[in-house]
Amino acid sequence: MPVYEKILFKNMEQAGYTGTLDDYRTTGGYTALQKVLKLTPAEVIEIVKKSGLRGRGGAGFPTGMKWSFIPKIPGPKYLCCNADESEPGTFKDRQLIENDPHQMIEGIAIACYAIGAATAYIYIRGEFSLGAKILQKALSEAVAAGLIGKNIMGSDFNLNVTVHRGAGAYICGEETALLESIEGKRGKPRTKPPFPAVHGLYQKPTVINNVETLSNLPHIINRGEEWFASIGTPKSTGTRIFSVSGHVKRPGNYEVPMGISLREMIYEHAGGIRGDKQLKAIIPGGASASFLTPEFLDTGLDFESIAKVHSMLGSGGVTVMDEETCMVWAALSLLEFFEHESCGKCTPCREGSTWIVKILRRIEQGKGQLSDLDLLQSVCKRIEGNTVCAFGDAEIAPVISTLHHFREEYEAHIQGAGCPYQPNASLVMAH
Amino acid sequence: MPVKLKVNNQEIEVVPGTLLIEAVKQVGVDVPHFCYSPKLKPDANCRMCLVEIEKMPKLQTSCSTQAAEGMVVLTDSPRVKEAQFSVMEFLLGNHPLDCPECDQGGECQLQDFAHKHSPTTSRFTEKKRTFEKEFFGPLIEKEMNRCVACMRCVRYCDEVMDVNALGAVDRGNVVQIGGFAHHDLDCEFCGGCIQICPVGALTSRLSMYTYRPWQVKKTETICNYCSDGCQLTLETIDDQVVRVSSAMGTGRNNGDLCARGYFGYGYVNHKERMSRPIVRQKNRAMEVTWEIAVEKAVSGLSAVRAQYGPQAIGGIISSHCTNEELYLFQKLMRQVIGTPHVDSSARYGYINAVRVMQEIFGTTRLIRYEEILQSDLIFSFSSEMAETHPITALKVKEAVKKNGAQLITVGAYNQQGDLYRSHLPKLAHPHLQVQPGTDGVAILGLMKAVVESSLQTTGRGAYFDRMKGHLLEIPFERIVAITGVPESLYREVAIRYAGAKRGILIFGRAILRGEEGYKNVRNLCNLAILAGQVMKPGAGILALAEEANELGAIEMGAVPEYLPGLMPAIPGGKTLVEMLDAAERGEIKALYVVGENPLRSLPQKQVSEAIKNLDILICQDLFHTETASMAHIILPAASFVEKEGRFTNHEGEVQRVRRAMDPLGNAKPDWEIFSMIANQMISRNSLAIAPFHYKSASEVWREVSLTMPSGWPKFSSNTMASQMAAYCECPPSTNTLHDPIVTLGRFHLQIGQTLFHSGKMSTYADGLQTLCPDDFLLIHPEDAEELKLAEGEKVTITSDVGSTVLPVKFSPKMARRTLFSSEHFGLMAKRLLPFSVDPVTQVPYGDRGFVILSRVETPVAEVAIYV
Repeated sequence: MPVYEKILFKNMEQAGYTGTLDDYRTTGGYTALQKVLKLTPAEVIEIVKKSGLRGRGGAGFPTGMKWSFIPKIPGPKYLCCNADESEPGTFKDRQLIENDPHQMIEGIAIACYAIGAATAYIYIRGEFSLGAKILQKALSEAVAAGLIGKNIMGSDFNLNVTVHRGAGAYICGEETALLESIEGKRGKPRTKPPFPAVHGLYQKPTVINNVETLSNLPHIINRGEEWFASIGTPKSTGTRIFSVSGHVKRPGNYEVPMGISLREMIYEHAGGIRGDKQLKAIIPGGASASFLTPEFLDTGLDFESIAKVHSMLGSGGVTVMDEETCMVWAALSLLEFFEHESCGKCTPCREGSTWIVKILRRIEQGKGQLSDLDLLQSVCKRIEGNTVCAFGDAEIAPVISTLHHFREEYEAHIQGAGCPYQPNASLVMAH
Repeated sequence: MPVKLKVNNQEIEVVPGTLLIEAVKQVGVDVPHFCYSPKLKPDANCRMCLVEIEKMPKLQTSCSTQAAEGMVVLTDSPRVKEAQFSVMEFLLGNHPLDCPECDQGGECQLQDFAHKHSPTTSRFTEKKRTFEKEFFGPLIEKEMNRCVACMRCVRYCDEVMDVNALGAVDRGNVVQIGGFAHHDLDCEFCGGCIQICPVGALTSRLSMYTYRPWQVKKTETICNYCSDGCQLTLETIDDQVVRVSSAMGTGRNNGDLCARGYFGYGYVNHKERMSRPIVRQKNRAMEVTWEIAVEKAVSGLSAVRAQYGPQAIGGIISSHCTNEELYLFQKLMRQVIGTPHVDSSARYGYINAVRVMQEIFGTTRLIRYEEILQSDLIFSFSSEMAETHPITALKVKEAVKKNGAQLITVGAYNQQGDLYRSHLPKLAHPHLQVQPGTDGVAILGLMKAVVESSLQTTGRGAYFDRMKGHLLEIPFERIVAITGVPESLYREVAIRYAGAKRGILIFGRAILRGEEGYKNVRNLCNLAILAGQVMKPGAGILALAEEANELGAIEMGAVPEYLPGLMPAIPGGKTLVEMLDAAERGEIKALYVVGENPLRSLPQKQVSEAIKNLDILICQDLFHTETASMAHIILPAASFVEKEGRFTNHEGEVQRVRRAMDPLGNAKPDWEIFSMIANQMISRNSLAIAPFHYKSASEVWREVSLTMPSGWPKFSSNTMASQMAAYCECPPSTNTLHDPIVTLGRFHLQIGQTLFHSGKMSTYADGLQTLCPDDFLLIHPEDAEELKLAEGEKVTITSDVGSTVLPVKFSPKMARRTLFSSEHFGLMAKRLLPFSVDPVTQVPYGDRGFVILSRVETPVAEVAIYV
């Protein structure tokens, strides 16, 4: 099994490392921030641009470019750290938060310095009560040590960081819904444009970055943009933490350079399929990503390669399903999640998700008709691209992709009047 | 620089910032939509208005996309049509097929678009989603199965009304409109959510199942409750008003209404309306024909006129009458009968504003709603405006919330308001909370702070110096001690007001009907002059009149000091209170009372003594009022729905009132009755006056137009400048500073108008009666807790003159140790308060005073007046 140098997990995998400020400092913690304070914000943005760092939350947008959209005007600006990790099959941010909170806090400070923000919010998933406690404690340590607060390390850079706990809605991981939620409103996505970079939190310029994205920053500063860009593929630089779940022998988080193959991830790192059964399907990037089949095992786990096979790297949640998994059931179970989590703001998503679930449920129960398959396809197409946020495109991915790759399985449900598989309790969607 | 773009292959030009949905109207395209409303911020949730824009991969919502230079837009491409089909299919999937019993049927956007943008069959074969039936209270029907979740109601309630009574409950496919956090709907009941709902999810229970939109006759008219001057569309079937609406974009109100406007029409068809003239002889009331009634009235008036002279006759008229009627009434009194004693309900307060503003500026027309919207600072001395003048308050809210104007409020209320009610002090920075009844002293404090700041306006030398000299004599410590507002706040606010680009000062009942109202209005005008907030575009003063046509009443000459057109009446006649005093002394022997009820509005005992002394009392009204019950002749009048005419609102806007249906029974419009009486008076007394041969209200209006000064109702700012210059030459009036009254153990009681009622008339409207069936006493919850009072519990309030029992309601807007009582029903609380009359304008004051509050231990009679 190939062994790679870990960046984000490096500290926490050391024996005895507990993630306290002292621990973090012994590994060189907060030296990056010290360096950054001697640079101009524009120089910091330039370094991050050159590193090729892309957002680890799902969309993979270049981080440096996102920062550069912040208008250089006086007035408040905000950074929001998206720690609302809710994508089914994804559990990497949780590990980063719970085991090395200062890595992320230092990243927040670097990002705020670069964009000129004096206030940052960590929007943490409501269920992460342990993470919220750990973050709060880490923040107190950082404030006490003068690393967060007024005149950080003797500079004139001030930063106030607040931990804001979510209340349990998946949609609040969508960046504009997250902003609404911090503002105390109902978690619903906003219409874009205007984009958060111009009218974000409290209508002020705002950057929203994922936990993993921010955690990379101290390392980029300390070890240089060229070092970072040398890891991974030319367009997908750095390492990536993949949360592998499902029918594998060793589910868990794996930090690897981007670009290694799906095959390597599943069969080497995760130890192969449980019970040495046949692999049937893979979701490579969280529940919103299209299903892939074993023929795509040699696809690289980087943004471009996965996009080329019509799926997405997304949140890095790799869910593996073996030959005994019913694909209609799998699509239904994901769509039940999406139906439950649709915020209800826009018509196609609100009405479409329920309709799809009703059709899928009928098929799974053997009450479907062949014409339902075209109807499913058509309803999905009527959602695609017509919704306020990306949720609409996300919720149709499991349906469209399973219909594409496993149409005969749908037909078998309809013609055989029911699900040909045993009820599948073994598929554990780590969520 | 206009923006050029191409829509469906046609070039158009629009101003920058125009939303596409508005821009494409230029080429005749009406993009279908549910959630968009020009009143609201774009939410782009229904996705019905998607259009195709060149170079954009996805379809864009035209409700949220601004037109940009060089844009190429398609509103009818196959992709767009497919998207519209999609949204309609999604919406119709779960929508019930209950159009035949839905009140929205026939004016429903979903229904209309289904015809245009939807196939005739549905692919949705699943069981429809249904919501459990929930009631939204007595006036609003909520049918969530019909909801398209466009959230216009929720957004309206927040963005426009600032009430936030509605919210979205649950999420996804079961999202529904509810009271925020599942409470019962307890809001301002403005009806805005019903009006803005594109489908039948929210409809009015008052008119439930009574009409189909195509059956109703629609009549455009003006609301006759307050003087906001709102456009109303009366929807009638035969002689029944079935519904009221106001279309967005129309009227001074831009389609917004309040509970009184939207739910308050019921009195028109009330069963107690009088429909036949009544003559009372030897304590026997008899219904008679108009001929007999008029004959009796004229013979009675003629007899008094012959025996005691015309000066023994007086006339009092309501400001709910039209301009034409007010004009004819004063003409009847002055020219035909020959008495100068004519007055109207404008005497109850608004005359204070007109007298002062007329004297200083030569006009009351300084501020229109448009100017409120454009102002950068609004200084409101009417913190109760959201209740008394909901639509003017909406303009203030819009200026503050949408256009970023600053709002400063002055009043006795707390800054905190009730839940689910708008309250202007909540939006104010800061709210100057004065001790009750000390508004006048606060005005002095503000004047003093303005002249002592270095911000004074130039060019007012002598006047300014004189004012300054006078104000310097008043120590700030006294002002602070009396009003309870710190000096620093006076200074901060004064600087901001004087520094505003377009500062607007608004005041209402608290000033007009509080003691020293006339002086306080003068000082408010002085304050505006000193701060330089008059005589410049967009700045000025707005006085809020209480009834629909108070400005009209004064301008038409229905007050003793003015002839029509505000020409001074010399010699002036007696005012309302003076007439009643004169009647008590036996100097006035006949009164003609139109739409007024002095027995309710003024100290009952004295009025009743005065009326008993009369030889003849003629009452003309819709209802059998307390005063009418003492009348010799009662004439049934038509309501505003049943006649033509004009109202002048407090902006000075003269607007048409239109007849929607025939008068009830034998009732007649007031102007017709005046003509009948005038003509009989003329012939019986052989007067050398041209008879009143008016065929219509319009004919009366032609005569009014000739009588009014040239240019009216516009005014010239040149006249204003010279008038103001003349005013600044004369010495300023002074206020006396009273020491604060020791309030130990006592509560300050204020009487006033509430949101759901307007005078007594609204208590005949079933809709409003449901919302507020009786008078109540507002008290701060902590005071209530100290007294161990429960909400709704009856308490006794006692003053030097008597006591009465009222149920308490808790409200955080009440300052500690203050009470508020509504004035619409028994009016018993008012009888407990001291009564006085303004020395200059004879305005009767009696809205506030101190009382002792105690829990009712044993049931007592409703009222006990100590004699």
